Amino acid sequence: MNESRKANNSDIERLVEASQAGGRGAFDELVRLYQRRAMRVAVRMLGDANDAAEAVQNAFVKAYLGIDKLKEPGRFEVWLLRIVTNAAISQRRAAKHRAERIKVADCYEDKKAVSLVDKAVGEELKETIKAAMGKLSKKEAKAISLFGLEGLSQREAAEIMGCSAAAVGWYVFEGRQKLKRLLKEYL
Amino acid sequence: MTKCSGNDKMENKKERIDLLFEENANEQLAKVDWGKLNGAISARLDEAQPSKTSGRRYATVFKIGAGVAAAAAVVFIAVMVRMEKPMDLQFKDGQRAVVKFVETKGSASVEIISRSGRSQVLVDIGYARTGIAKADVEIIDRNGERKENGSQAAWIIIRMPEPALADNGANEYLKDLIRLF
Repeated sequence: MNESRKANNSDIERLVEASQAGGRGAFDELVRLYQRRAMRVAVRMLGDANDAAEAVQNAFVKAYLGIDKLKEPGRFEVWLLRIVTNAAISQRRAAKHRAERIKVADCYEDKKAVSLVDKAVGEELKETIKAAMGKLSKKEAKAISLFGLEGLSQREAAEIMGCSAAAVGWYVFEGRQKLKRLLKEYL
Repeated sequence: MTKCSGNDKMENKKERIDLLFEENANEQLAKVDWGKLNGAISARLDEAQPSKTSGRRYATVFKIGAGVAAAAAVVFIAVMVRMEKPMDLQFKDGQRAVVKFVETKGSASVEIISRSGRSQVLVDIGYARTGIAKADVEIIDRNGERKENGSQAAWIIIRMPEPALADNGANEYLKDLIRLF
């Protein structure tokens, strides 16, 4: 289970309040609790763990510098995921302008046990998904990435995206239609 | 597209395309060294730390309510929102304003509280408002002996683009100007 799901809301609120009071240790704990969830959203948006890691780092720095602006500590997750999705969008834009993939602090570890064939297929899928996600609009990419995230309601996804729940549904629908065309050989 | 309520858990409505994405995400995430990622984030936060606390090296716990108070009726403090410039303040380098507080008898007070090296001023906005304004401040003169017309003076700097009004029910974009005499 995701670390953040184990911590209850009052723990999170206390950590946020402590961070707002200047407690770096409290913020480090928030990072530990939410980094997996943040990475999952970013990987779903970007299709690539290296790009996702860069986006997640940028997101946590922004969150750290702006945590005083969070008026409701209980809404930390929604607030954080909004920052993460925006950081992923920025990363997507940056990645499009780069010829080579960004390698970030060796946090991407190759599993030697994976066979050459499996690795090739996996890499191809990854690159195809990455390219396909890059063709979605920002809203579609966010909606697709948030949709189906464990424990996240459509209302919360809407809050993260700054739109209505119905609009989230629409963006998911539109995004899926595009992705089905782009990824039809994998379906 | 099935209509659903705002609280519906969305994972029950996955299609094959979602499963494909899930598969790719799981594969990607399985390869992540979480300890190294956490370390990388921590290093980035270390780099960001100076910008979070810069310019506040003067701040320590410093309650000046007892030493500096002002008449509410003539209390003005600039609360800057976004890039608006309040009146009657001096700006240096386009970044900060200097506001002088002089002790007089009255109901308003200024309290500066340090939080891990960061100071804030919490101010009663005055007779027209009931809320609190918050501002990051930099104290540039803590000389307790300084007197002006029999009153003790302390200087503070209110930093732009902060502060912001907090819970005072006012339009967020209004600036409140309260001057102390």
